[in-house]
Amino acid sequence: MLLMTDVSKTYPGGNVALKDVNIHIQPGEFVFVVGPSGAGKSTFIKMLFREVLPTTGTILVNGVDILALKPREIPYMRRQLGIIFQDYRLLPDRTVYDNVAFAMQVIETPYRKIKRRVLNVLDLVGLRRRANSYPNELSGGEQQRIAIARAIVNDPLLVIADEPTGNLDPETGMEIMQIFSEINENGTTIVMATHDKDIVDSMGKRVVAIEKGRIVRDERNGVYGYES
Amino acid sequence: MSLSTKEYFIRETYKSIRRNGFMSFASVSTVAVSLLVLGMFLLIFLNTNNLAKYLESQVQITVYMQDSANDKELEAMSGKLKALPGVVSVKQVKKAEALNRFKERLGEQENLLSALGTENPFPNSFEVQVDVPERIKEIAPTIHQMPKVETAKFGQEVVEHLFSLTRILRFGGIVLVLFLSFATLFIISNTIRLTVFARRKEVVIMKYVGATDWFIRWPFLMEGMTLGFWGAVFAGAFVTIIYSMLLSKIYATLAFFPLLPTWPTMIYVDIFILFVGTAIGALGSFISLRKFLRV
Repeated sequence: MLLMTDVSKTYPGGNVALKDVNIHIQPGEFVFVVGPSGAGKSTFIKMLFREVLPTTGTILVNGVDILALKPREIPYMRRQLGIIFQDYRLLPDRTVYDNVAFAMQVIETPYRKIKRRVLNVLDLVGLRRRANSYPNELSGGEQQRIAIARAIVNDPLLVIADEPTGNLDPETGMEIMQIFSEINENGTTIVMATHDKDIVDSMGKRVVAIEKGRIVRDERNGVYGYES
Repeated sequence: MSLSTKEYFIRETYKSIRRNGFMSFASVSTVAVSLLVLGMFLLIFLNTNNLAKYLESQVQITVYMQDSANDKELEAMSGKLKALPGVVSVKQVKKAEALNRFKERLGEQENLLSALGTENPFPNSFEVQVDVPERIKEIAPTIHQMPKVETAKFGQEVVEHLFSLTRILRFGGIVLVLFLSFATLFIISNTIRLTVFARRKEVVIMKYVGATDWFIRWPFLMEGMTLGFWGAVFAGAFVTIIYSMLLSKIYATLAFFPLLPTWPTMIYVDIFILFVGTAIGALGSFISLRKFLRV
């Protein structure tokens, strides 16, 4: 699903964010990316959807070299991904339904398909009854669930989440993780950067630790490994 | 492009124009004013050209005689004129007839002539018709040199002046239109920039979920084109009204003046204005999209 080979990133000004990163993620895996602040997690995550380009190295997503893509091919590559952020990034002037439907509209899905699929996904995240609410009427946990619904509505192969529980209380964070587990059980690959020790330790999934731009640990059934 | 996508674009465009109410209004007004001036210039230009062409197509020379010419000399003159190559007809207009014609033209203001007393200031003249307009330049100098000829007048002299006027109009018009186009472009691209700014979050999310660049650009481009189009509609309506009013005024006093009729002239002018307005709208948003929307 994901293959990074000798990936390094030096930002203009000489700041080295990643150094010689090699990683192979199989389809259907659930991978936590952990490490101290400023270790390079964010750069790593952003490279997966081509927001940041590496200085050297290659990145294959689902067998496609995403660095060799022509600009007009990038949108089609991103349609295979679902991206989730710490701050939800919902559109405040649209209802819950429209926020999710938006993701289908912009890739030109026929009208009749949109409604059924959006309601299905809202069911999956347990917020169908809030379909006509606006994001500011929802709690943080609910907003993040909408963001997840939007990320998976187009059936991505790979879901990329950057600190999705960072703004939530522990209990709500666990509820969110429940949804991620379900998505993963349906066969979707998940890569998630997190600072949440309890979540990582309780899930028993693969853990990749990044420190000073290098992968220092990569374990199956791993633990968070830092003081929280 | 599927039907739901088109619907989506139209909805987004409409929403955005409403959200930027004041700037949209300002853009439409600027486009309207600029195109109004453009339309006026176009009409003046077209009419001057038309007038020049009309005069150029005239096949008549008016030969004015000196007052010292007696009846015998006038008789001889008529014969000489008829003998010139290409002359179709020669009509003598006597002093008295010229005065009568002028009286007729004055109509109700005939009494103005009482100031002249019994004197008749009009000279004897000949109206010489030739076969083709080009003939006039050949024979006019010959006529000039005939005895007792005061002067020989024909349309082409005026045509030269008109053409130099058209040149000035064309140049001035182009400069003015360019200037106004830049002003219009500036304000439209500014409006679109505001729109892009207001919707930057949306644009980022669109990129993340895999919208193509053109899908992201279309609503903005349509917004600019809509603003330009509506400005042009107002400008076109105003120009049409003003021109038809002006025309009826001019015809009331100068019935013989060869002006272009309102229809179909205004159809062409309006189509041109609509085209230019929409194009400026599209170009204005395109400038902003290139600068501010790095998709």
